[in-house]
Amino acid sequence: MEYLKNPQDKAIEDKLQILTDAAKYDVACTSSGVDRPGDGKSIGSCVAAGICHSFSGDGRCISLLKILLTNECVYDCKYCRNRNSSDIPRATFTPEEVCTLTMEFYRRNYIEGLFLSSGIIGSPTFTMELIYRTVWLLRNRYRFNGYVHVKAIPGAAPEAIEQTGYLVDRMSVNLELPTAEGLRSLAPNKHRKSILTPMRQIQNGIQINRGDLVLYRNAPKFVGGGQSTQMIIGATPESDYQIINVAENLYRKFELKRVFYSAFVNVTGDKSLPALPGGPPLLREHRLYQADWLLRFYGFRAEELLDEKRPFFNVMLDPKEDWAVRHLERFPVEINRAPIEELLRVPGIGVKSARRIVAARRSGSLAFGDLKKIGVVLKRALYFITCNGRMMYPVKLDEDSIVRGLTSEKDRVQFGSDGMSYRQLSLFDDAAFTRPVTVQERQQAAVGQL
Amino acid sequence: MRRRKGTYMIVYRCEDTLESVFTAIYQAYEEKRNHNDTYLSLTDDPMLFAEDIPVVADEEKTRKVMGTLRRRFGWEDSEKLCMALASEDEGKAQAVYRTVVQGLRGRCGRGHLFDNLADSQVYKAFALARGVSTEAGHQKQFLRFQELEGGMLYSRIGPKNDVMVFLMPHFADRLSIENFVIYDEKRNLFGIHPGQGRWYLLRGEEADRPAGLRFSDKELQYQELFRQFCHSITIEERRNRKLQAGMLPLRFREYMVEFQ
Repeated sequence: MEYLKNPQDKAIEDKLQILTDAAKYDVACTSSGVDRPGDGKSIGSCVAAGICHSFSGDGRCISLLKILLTNECVYDCKYCRNRNSSDIPRATFTPEEVCTLTMEFYRRNYIEGLFLSSGIIGSPTFTMELIYRTVWLLRNRYRFNGYVHVKAIPGAAPEAIEQTGYLVDRMSVNLELPTAEGLRSLAPNKHRKSILTPMRQIQNGIQINRGDLVLYRNAPKFVGGGQSTQMIIGATPESDYQIINVAENLYRKFELKRVFYSAFVNVTGDKSLPALPGGPPLLREHRLYQADWLLRFYGFRAEELLDEKRPFFNVMLDPKEDWAVRHLERFPVEINRAPIEELLRVPGIGVKSARRIVAARRSGSLAFGDLKKIGVVLKRALYFITCNGRMMYPVKLDEDSIVRGLTSEKDRVQFGSDGMSYRQLSLFDDAAFTRPVTVQERQQAAVGQL
Repeated sequence: MRRRKGTYMIVYRCEDTLESVFTAIYQAYEEKRNHNDTYLSLTDDPMLFAEDIPVVADEEKTRKVMGTLRRRFGWEDSEKLCMALASEDEGKAQAVYRTVVQGLRGRCGRGHLFDNLADSQVYKAFALARGVSTEAGHQKQFLRFQELEGGMLYSRIGPKNDVMVFLMPHFADRLSIENFVIYDEKRNLFGIHPGQGRWYLLRGEEADRPAGLRFSDKELQYQELFRQFCHSITIEERRNRKLQAGMLPLRFREYMVEFQ
């Protein structure tokens, strides 16, 4: 019988399919934060910037082999596909299977390392120990030196989390929902406190380890890549203001490396969850990530971006544009003189281009053409900057006209082919003018219904 | 032989190698040329009223130029100049030459060679280096190895720029105990790494193109597993082909197992 020849092969394919499918909603999956060259004896190295090895059909990066150890779970969280009351095929990897898959994928440059999460099997501590055993095997028996990211299971014994921490590069504890009320209503088995405890433990571990490394250069590293977390967006009625405040606190008080936002996808159809006929709230997720970057790299604070009266982000403008049009008294900014902190607040200027501007203006004054070369997005920046005291062309500095310009750029401003010239609008420059005549319009014209 | 200023244009005809371009730069300084009237060209296109000087690559001169660049501009910026020279652009030699002249003349400090982006040639060298560095990064991401019979890893790539020399250190460090070969099919160039050994490059003849490679038993199974993994990791509700194509340019897919 042909199909019985190699029954194990079949099993691993099925398992991989089930356990990948179960892990795919976890977004806290990056390979960054650790720079570790190969040691010549084992396989693998890490690059601080992280490497994405492929991109899936939804455009998200595939950098780690993202799987669950098992999708059996004793918990019954309402948003989760793997909740114990849901009727789905279940599977469990053996540690050896996880190790072999990781090694073989890694050798072929498919992945940057392993991301291992798990449903709760038995108890949190037992699950954490299973994860520990798997990673131990991978590091010591299979001699894998690449990136490993594991989940710390809330409620697991601190010892289990600590010993795992010495083997992995990054750990994450999922906050799941931004507020304690949300958690209570959707994840009855999880508690805010049990989630924050391991987070605090990892933070303290990293701090102590930093001190150890100063004294003993070869002390084992504890979670060298820092920790991250994720929140589900749109399953509970929190506002954007609450969410970015939570994120800011996590960055400040828990020293997280990243907070991830995951647009809610209703996979369980539970009655207490919102139905989302328009698909997952992707734009909202996008705005939150933009705000997240403003918090981490641009020196913004959460209360500058939103407040109690305006708790949601603007749909039309990104958070930085939105902030800029509400603070027109701080603009225009002179490119050749302004300090970098002010340049960073101009829409269309990013961290890299701000640094390049500061370097380039030492050798001579900059004009708009140079800014374009440097990488400034002029169509957004032109309302907010001057070069040597001049704006790119006369712009009315009031909120309405700028918002109009920012939101419907291609209909309003007619650029030359090089994107630099400015000419007066003529009657025939209206973008709608080039639209072909539809069949319906032709019929209406024929019967005189103009 | 010294010439009076502004009498002639001088064109150094280089080959498309780093050694040749660096030798030409050395000669331009050695022969005390007026740098505003001196050009480096990789092609044979004739220029009016110009004197052609063919350049023979010289190891000693290359090393001296390399040393000066490192000392004056720092490791990072001299690496960038090398990257610009790995580009496929024909104007790269001139751009690098002008950048070096500008840097030596202006006495810029280490790490500040590319500050003056308002200068068109400096900007060009910068943009070329950025292009090569981006492509090298892409290859580190998207290159795929296949296991041949006997356990050796083999990969075929077709990069626009000559990025092999920037890839080998990365993979040699990462897969130090593996035997692997990376083959650049556009330049017929092999990067070879023997397990536990030092890597080297080998330029092949037309007849050396690899053919009839036999994969190991497990190879097809792992390819299939990875294809399946990429398929099941996709969230249907978020499907976004445009984003995927933006992050993973289509030209790489020919070489990637998950798109076959």
